[in-house]
Amino acid sequence: MRGNFTNTGKLVKFILRRERIISTVWILIIVLFSMVLAPGINTMFPDIETRNNFAATLENPIMIAMMGPVYGVGDYTAGAMYSGMMLLWIMMTAGIMNIFLVVRHTRADEEKGRAEVVRSLPTGRLANLNAAIISAVIINAVMAVLLGLGLAATGVESMDLGGSMLYGVLTGLAGLVFAAVAALFSQLSSYKGGATGLSFLTLGVFYMVRAAGDAQMPINNALSCISPLGLAQRSEVYVQNYIYPVFILIAIIAVIIIIAFKLNSIRDIDQGFIPAKPGRKEAKKSLLSSFGLSVRLLKTSIIVWFIVMFALGASYGSILGEIDEFVGDSPEYLTVIGIPEEIVEKMTDADKKEIISKYFGVFITSMMTLVGLIPVIIAAMKPRNEEKDNRAEHILARGISRTKYLFGYVLIAYISSIIMQCATAVGLYLSASSVAGEAGIPESFMLGSLLKSYLSYLPAMWVILGFTILVIGLLPKASGMIWGYYGFVCFMSFIGGFPDLLPAWVAKISPMSYIAKVPLDDINFTNLALLTGLAAVLTALGFFHYRKRDLVYH
Amino acid sequence: MGNFMLETKDLTKRFGKFTALDKVNLQVKEGEVFGFIGPNGAGKTTTIRCLLGILQATEGSASVFGLDAWKDAVEIHKRIAYVPGDVNLWANLTGGEVIDLFVSLRQKSDKEKREKLIKKFELDPSKKCRTYSKGNRQKVALVAAFASDADLYILDEPTSGLDPLMEQVFQECVGEKKKEGKSIFLSSHILLEVEKLCDRVGIIREGSVAQTGTLDELRFLTRINMNIETREAITGLEAVSGVSGIEKTVKGIAFQVENEQIPEVVTFISKFGVTRLESKPPALEELFMKHYSNENVSTTSATGGE
Repeated sequence: MRGNFTNTGKLVKFILRRERIISTVWILIIVLFSMVLAPGINTMFPDIETRNNFAATLENPIMIAMMGPVYGVGDYTAGAMYSGMMLLWIMMTAGIMNIFLVVRHTRADEEKGRAEVVRSLPTGRLANLNAAIISAVIINAVMAVLLGLGLAATGVESMDLGGSMLYGVLTGLAGLVFAAVAALFSQLSSYKGGATGLSFLTLGVFYMVRAAGDAQMPINNALSCISPLGLAQRSEVYVQNYIYPVFILIAIIAVIIIIAFKLNSIRDIDQGFIPAKPGRKEAKKSLLSSFGLSVRLLKTSIIVWFIVMFALGASYGSILGEIDEFVGDSPEYLTVIGIPEEIVEKMTDADKKEIISKYFGVFITSMMTLVGLIPVIIAAMKPRNEEKDNRAEHILARGISRTKYLFGYVLIAYISSIIMQCATAVGLYLSASSVAGEAGIPESFMLGSLLKSYLSYLPAMWVILGFTILVIGLLPKASGMIWGYYGFVCFMSFIGGFPDLLPAWVAKISPMSYIAKVPLDDINFTNLALLTGLAAVLTALGFFHYRKRDLVYH
Repeated sequence: MGNFMLETKDLTKRFGKFTALDKVNLQVKEGEVFGFIGPNGAGKTTTIRCLLGILQATEGSASVFGLDAWKDAVEIHKRIAYVPGDVNLWANLTGGEVIDLFVSLRQKSDKEKREKLIKKFELDPSKKCRTYSKGNRQKVALVAAFASDADLYILDEPTSGLDPLMEQVFQECVGEKKKEGKSIFLSSHILLEVEKLCDRVGIIREGSVAQTGTLDELRFLTRINMNIETREAITGLEAVSGVSGIEKTVKGIAFQVENEQIPEVVTFISKFGVTRLESKPPALEELFMKHYSNENVSTTSATGGE
């Protein structure tokens, strides 16, 4: 048919204009983050000997399953180490950027009725999809070039221009693979959430497929290469710099895009190929209350985060057996996980493993608590988002008091804080004990002591939760700033290993600083009681103000 | 408080420096259908939100069933049904689930009534709310409201997304509730709807109530626009009572006439040999502009012109 692509050019310009901020931010984050980390490897592992030692610790099935094959062993350059540890994650990050990008300009536009407006103008039937894909190509090309030049510009010895450009191009192509996948699912699914979800599922499957191939002994390259991510890693960037994966990736992208175009050309606007299955005609009993609705709205988020916390816990537990080798002898690394210098100096080979696993355990407890806070804050923020989107009034105008309405969400948030901490602790214990055997795991990784240290963080979580509720009650329009406070708490925890960086009182603003480092120290019950009391006061104040304010619709 | 279902006394609401409502006075009697009309942005929704205790009055008072709208909100809500003007629903829930939820928050649901209403409004309750159009989301809220056994129905522009056929269904539902002796507070900017359904009308403009009364008392609301062409030039029409706003058009004249004067006017103009006659109800904005333009110019130069 003639004119299928009419006016694509103008639409591309329009999309790039809509993208000028968000895609720029994505690209800057990806490029700058990559550039900052490159010299870091040289600092941490300054000579070939330490790098080779580290490579040896990476060469076990669990680490390879997580990060991919280790190339260049024997002459393990900083570049080899960098691409081995970073390329996979940066490709997946680019994938996430592209999934959002393409769904935003295809299915989401269609769902919101914007695509219809565009289609009614003199534009070709396939122009919208075409423009979205061309825009993705342009955005990924810019990212690839900047990333390549940026890495070469870091001046790390083994990271030359050729290898860096290959690194950039592979990242861009991986991004485009997921742009194509998202374009395909935007045809198949009839709504934005479905297209995004299926694309993310594909991302996960691609990661798992290459993990399954890589974890075998010897590595099953054929299986790993079914995944574009595994394929891209076969370029052995900064080691061999093979080009062939580039061409195969381009072919894969082309095929998926052609299928997407074909599907787009034979379907009607607003329709998808996966039929929207009808839902319940009547509500289950469990939905029929204000609290039932809150549970229903937050259920998926809590289940997904439960799995994430469990999986993260399990993945940390799996490296416990080789923890001393994993952390290595690098004093910087030992400081990062919080081991004081005087202990590092006195550490003997005999007690090294025990000391490191203890400190490592404490370090990841605070890190995992921060991750576990995310679903808790999401749950606590839900009533505010419902209010903003005009949905809270449905409930509040039907004989449900403000207190009762808010209480449902707050209760869920408190309970999910306990769920998340338990999920991590149990995940840690199960994988640590299955890798090392019940007898092999150190005392500090027994279930009882894990639960003790994870649950001892609850009062700190509750203070942040209390702040969230107070802000919702008192400053609804500014409630987004709770994420800023959360970011501050994260930052303070990250730099906890470097206590001299900031004045002591700044660290005290974070409730995490009052939690004793179990099992290194004993639980400080006085502090826990004080934090819990503070959380209760903040929560009560939040309710008090929420009850006596207007609903705010923006 | 007497036996008013709903009453506001000098109800004033300010958002910062902006005055959204300025001394609004309204009364709705039991068993009455009250039309609350005004152009977009006049303060209809803000008034309703004050009546529901979602917003707190800055000054003055709002009461429903003789109870304070803010302090006794929960008590009041147990006896009212509300349809918001902008119905936002949960993307993952089906229409049927939302209806059940809404009804059950107040009372045990009456399955038969629910099925009847779903059929009447031609709603597919098995679809997820994300797939519903504005009209369909409104139907969900309307079904939930009419399936509830309330004493007072507060409806905020409930038909703005419905097609004419569904407007008809809506009017039937309002009629039924009225027959049962329920009170209805209906905000709208569609005159025809108000004319068909309402016993009394309150007009809100720029945050204050300009007039209240029966449609007979607010006769200007029921004027009809007429556009006629005649063989002979019409003379003496301005002397006929109920006629106003005479204007010359390209081939004839246009004017407004009050509903009950139509027989006299038609008799009068037929003498001139009518070749073309067009009549239609004017839009609310048009009526308001004509009716209030004089006082606007003279009294409020700051807010006038809109």
